[in-house]
Amino acid sequence: MTPTAPAAEPQPLLRTLAPLLRGLERQVRAWLDARRRYPLTMLQRAELEGLADDLRRQAEALDVDKPLLTIMLMGGTGVGKSTLLNALAGAPIAQAAFTRPTTRDPVVYFHHSVRSDRLDPALRVCRLAQHDRPGLEQKVIVDTPDLDSNDLGNRDKLKALLPMADIVLYVGSQEKYHDKLGWDLFKEQRQRRAFAFVLNKWDRCVTGESGLRPDEDLLRDLKDEGFGTPLLFRTTAQLWVDSAAQSGQWPPPTPPDLPEGEQFTLLRNWLELGLTRLEIEAVKARGVGQLLASVARVVDGLRPPDLSAEAEKVRDAWRQTLAAEAVVQGGELVGTLEPYQTEVEHHFSIEDQQRYRGLMSAYLRFTTKMRYSRSGLRDRIPFAGRLLPGAKVETPVEWNLGEFVQQCARTAGERVLDQRTTALVNRLLVEADQRGFPLALLSEPTGSVGRMDWRDRTTRAVIDALSEVEREATNPTGARRAVRGTLTALANTLPELALVVTAGTLLFNFIVQQLPPSVFEMSLVGLVPLVVIVSLHLLIVMLLPIRWPAIRERFRSKLADRVGEELDRAYLAVPTDIAAAIREERRSVDTLLAETKVVSDFLAERQQAAQVGELYGT
Amino acid sequence: MEPTEHRSAVGQLADDLRWLEDHCRRQPDLAAHAGTLRLASALTRNVIGPFLEGQPARPLHVAVVGGAGAGKSTVVNFLAGSVVAEANPQAGFTRHPTAFLPNGPAFQWPTYIGFMGPLNKLSGEKPASADEDVYQVKRVPPAKDGAADPLADFVVWDCPDMTTWASLVYVNRLLEVAALADVVVYVASDERYNDEVPTQFLHILVKAGKAVVVVLTKVRESNAQALIEHFRREILGRLPKLPDGTAPAVPVIAFPQMPQSERTDPSGAGARHRVNLLNQILMLVESDAALRTRTVANAAKFLTTAGDGLLDVARRDLAEFDAWKTAVLAGKADFEERYRKEFLSGEQFHRFDRYRDALMEQLELPGAGRALGNVIWVLRSPYRWSRDYIGGLLVRPAVANQPEAHVLSASLTGWLDRLQAEALRRSGTHAVWKQIAVRFDTELGPQARERFAQECRNFELKETDELDRAGKRMLDNLEQRPALLYTLRGGKLAVDLAAVATIVVTTWPPGWYLLLIPVAVSATHQATELAVRATAETARAKVRHQREDLVATVLTTPLAAWLAEWPATGGSSIEKLQQVLRRVPEMIRQMEARVQAKAAEWAAKPAEATPPGAAQG
Repeated sequence: MTPTAPAAEPQPLLRTLAPLLRGLERQVRAWLDARRRYPLTMLQRAELEGLADDLRRQAEALDVDKPLLTIMLMGGTGVGKSTLLNALAGAPIAQAAFTRPTTRDPVVYFHHSVRSDRLDPALRVCRLAQHDRPGLEQKVIVDTPDLDSNDLGNRDKLKALLPMADIVLYVGSQEKYHDKLGWDLFKEQRQRRAFAFVLNKWDRCVTGESGLRPDEDLLRDLKDEGFGTPLLFRTTAQLWVDSAAQSGQWPPPTPPDLPEGEQFTLLRNWLELGLTRLEIEAVKARGVGQLLASVARVVDGLRPPDLSAEAEKVRDAWRQTLAAEAVVQGGELVGTLEPYQTEVEHHFSIEDQQRYRGLMSAYLRFTTKMRYSRSGLRDRIPFAGRLLPGAKVETPVEWNLGEFVQQCARTAGERVLDQRTTALVNRLLVEADQRGFPLALLSEPTGSVGRMDWRDRTTRAVIDALSEVEREATNPTGARRAVRGTLTALANTLPELALVVTAGTLLFNFIVQQLPPSVFEMSLVGLVPLVVIVSLHLLIVMLLPIRWPAIRERFRSKLADRVGEELDRAYLAVPTDIAAAIREERRSVDTLLAETKVVSDFLAERQQAAQVGELYGT
Repeated sequence: MEPTEHRSAVGQLADDLRWLEDHCRRQPDLAAHAGTLRLASALTRNVIGPFLEGQPARPLHVAVVGGAGAGKSTVVNFLAGSVVAEANPQAGFTRHPTAFLPNGPAFQWPTYIGFMGPLNKLSGEKPASADEDVYQVKRVPPAKDGAADPLADFVVWDCPDMTTWASLVYVNRLLEVAALADVVVYVASDERYNDEVPTQFLHILVKAGKAVVVVLTKVRESNAQALIEHFRREILGRLPKLPDGTAPAVPVIAFPQMPQSERTDPSGAGARHRVNLLNQILMLVESDAALRTRTVANAAKFLTTAGDGLLDVARRDLAEFDAWKTAVLAGKADFEERYRKEFLSGEQFHRFDRYRDALMEQLELPGAGRALGNVIWVLRSPYRWSRDYIGGLLVRPAVANQPEAHVLSASLTGWLDRLQAEALRRSGTHAVWKQIAVRFDTELGPQARERFAQECRNFELKETDELDRAGKRMLDNLEQRPALLYTLRGGKLAVDLAAVATIVVTTWPPGWYLLLIPVAVSATHQATELAVRATAETARAKVRHQREDLVATVLTTPLAAWLAEWPATGGSSIEKLQQVLRRVPEMIRQMEARVQAKAAEWAAKPAEATPPGAAQG
């Protein structure tokens, strides 16, 4: 240990970081638990959960006076990880043998002053070996199982341990420094931890044969990976273990047949003296910084795209499709009314008659009854429905608007509309896809709109349209209104007037002029008003006709409008709602990102400049 | 069998296997099959092809394989008897295979189209680290002491490794040589012998039925025996069975960590290691022909096993393809239901009324009888008027129907939209759906509509035709049976006359009771009319039924068949997959039969196949 280290002023930085990291972890977990529309892949979720675990672990590791630095040996089977640890310890604490794989249970090598409950829970279950070397007081060295043998369980153990590491000592040998499995793991972890490199079995690398020496090869590859000046130690650990065993001293004497360029002492010095308290704190802080950077990177990758523009485009496209669909559905609904045209006419005639009073009213009631007697007649013939084609639809016995309309809507639904609704949903989805809206988001909500009870809506549309047409028919506007007003006024006065005048004339003749009326003249009292009434009726029929073809056309356009409104209300909101929800999710991602940035900035402002840059690539 | 025929069959099989391999590489969950398929195609090209073509057993091939830095090049040098291969401390230095020909009389280098697959023979010399799809051939220099070369029949191959991160690129070159080899020397160092990746490779070699010799290198002499035992237990004990079902017998020898003097002088200072190794190899060789026959037979068996596994490769694709077909059929059912409900249920076939009237007309008397008929027709006038009036009162207008063409085109759009939406929804899950989704707007949609339009024209012709045929059949029924026709006509007349006569006789003398005559003839006529109407309605119902069948046979079934097969057309991967799945098992079976026939031929004349003095310890 360097003599200056204990005198350094207390470092509050790492401890103050702990609550911030806990807070961030809570936020990440809350974000993960929130419901969201934009789907998170399993991989993304697992990655973020792993980061949240790391945040908690870091917070706990930092919330102490003297944080521990975990140095982990990583490498293939047989490269000499255990031998290296034994050489560093000067005693056979880790099992090393010629059979592969040797180490199945990780070995944790730590100072006796460190209570084992201060170790990370994952490390506590490993084999523990304590020592009393002051230079390694704040350091925990972990020997891990291999990453490439046939025992796949070892690889899982290693991967479970790696998150605990502050510094990974990547151990390679002449054979394995280039192996894919180890290299992939290094590339996966390098953004998250400090890396130093050991090329063990150095004696096998300096054979005097031609070609690139392994250490040069490795340095070249590391340079390509962004490690310009990596810490690389060339060691032959076995010789040091042998030397320690033979001499029984600590530190062991330098073995006599050490190959040229062997650097085990350098490694030991770096571990014991080079990594001072300052460096440890810097490595720890940098580890936190890398963790935060990972969180920021992952969270940034989770930001859903902005769909507002697409949603608008989809909305426009859908509006046209829905309008066309409304026209067809309106036509279908009117088509189902076709069998009831007499009833509809009848209904309108009765409504229209409400305006008339007195003789005209009585006359119209009579004629209407006569004219529409057939629908009543049909219902009174018991087998008519079965014998006559086209009469299959049940006739509403009484004019009950609600029931009648429901019947129509049901018929239309059964015949046409149900299938059209399914087809419509598919059409809309295809159109949305053509406008670049992700189908995964749209498929479910649109489908559920399609599965709503459309018959209710159709019924409502038919009722509304019917009453609207009725209102228009009974309350005309413009010239028709004037014509109708005049006709009504005439119809309500002229017949009575004719009656009074005729009767008056007869009475006058009889009383004043003493002329007894003949039978013909007596009948005139009835005939003259009748003629007036009939002529007025003819006028009304000619000027204000209530015929099915006219009603039908008006009804169709109204129905199309109403159905269109219902469709618009149900469907058009879907893409914009989703886009709004996604915008909200974007915002929540941004919030999380901002929180992460606050912590990183806090860290960056207070970070000390220590000489640890070579442990990290660029 | 003609050589050219062999050649095309082998080429086809190798190509199909290569295609399957690429197909597997494109799908992450199938990547594990890619290596097996690669080996299968390499075996077809390098072993079975030349054998069937009658190429000689010589030279035999020994491939030296192993993890990076395990000491392959050193082993090659020991096989060759002198330092011929560049041993290099850099892991993964060798990037392409090199063949070392024995020093001796030149023998014929295999000349076979497709030999070594994508690897080209280098004409000049290049360092072993050249990272290209090539192989080079070098000649072993003569032994210093002029001794005979024990491996004079063998070509020794120095191969790249399969463990470094760069090996992804060149592991196929290794597989090519491993497939070619008659004997494989598997080199494992004290560090490597229990590594996963090389062990898997060893498993593949055993599955392919290669004769394998294991060399454990860099072993401490003191540990050698224990290590060999450990290796036998841990690694060899878990090997798969050979293609013929027996457990593989794999000899293991240990090479210690040698000083440079031994390493660089294989036939001198290191001779004891070399003899050990050569003995193990030569023990495997009874005769050239026998060893080659075994290699080829095992390769054929490996192909059979690989062929059995083909369905695994295709299962996912075929399942997705089936899902597509199901979607198409569901769409077809939808289409037919829409046609039935939206059009057929409300359709009255008014055209058919003409035939009903014609049938009625047929029952009237021809010629002179017509005058009488006309008289009765006049008498029935009041009945006709009242009938029409009451009919008008009673019959409701029908529900307005959409025109048939509208219903058909809307249903087609619905069908296609449904398929397109399904394809888009699933396009993220599998390449089959993605291909469909991508080609839908440009190819599938327009083509389907075009086909449908053609079918529709055909359908329209047929439907009119069918309606007319049904009507005519109704008329012809009577016309072709004059006896029945005249009986009916006469009967009707007789009933009319009888009714008139009865009324005249019973109410004689004539008075206003004669007004009953029109009533009576009307009643008889009504009865006839009801009978005719019933006949016509039956025929009409039949027409409705036939129309439904017609839509199914003329319109939907052909279109559904076309749609269902569409993903398997136009050079798509499903099409190719289907072809390959049909072709490969059959070809593998043929190949095995041919190999057996040829092997029997070789066994019959061993003297020709084995040149004298080929194999000796």
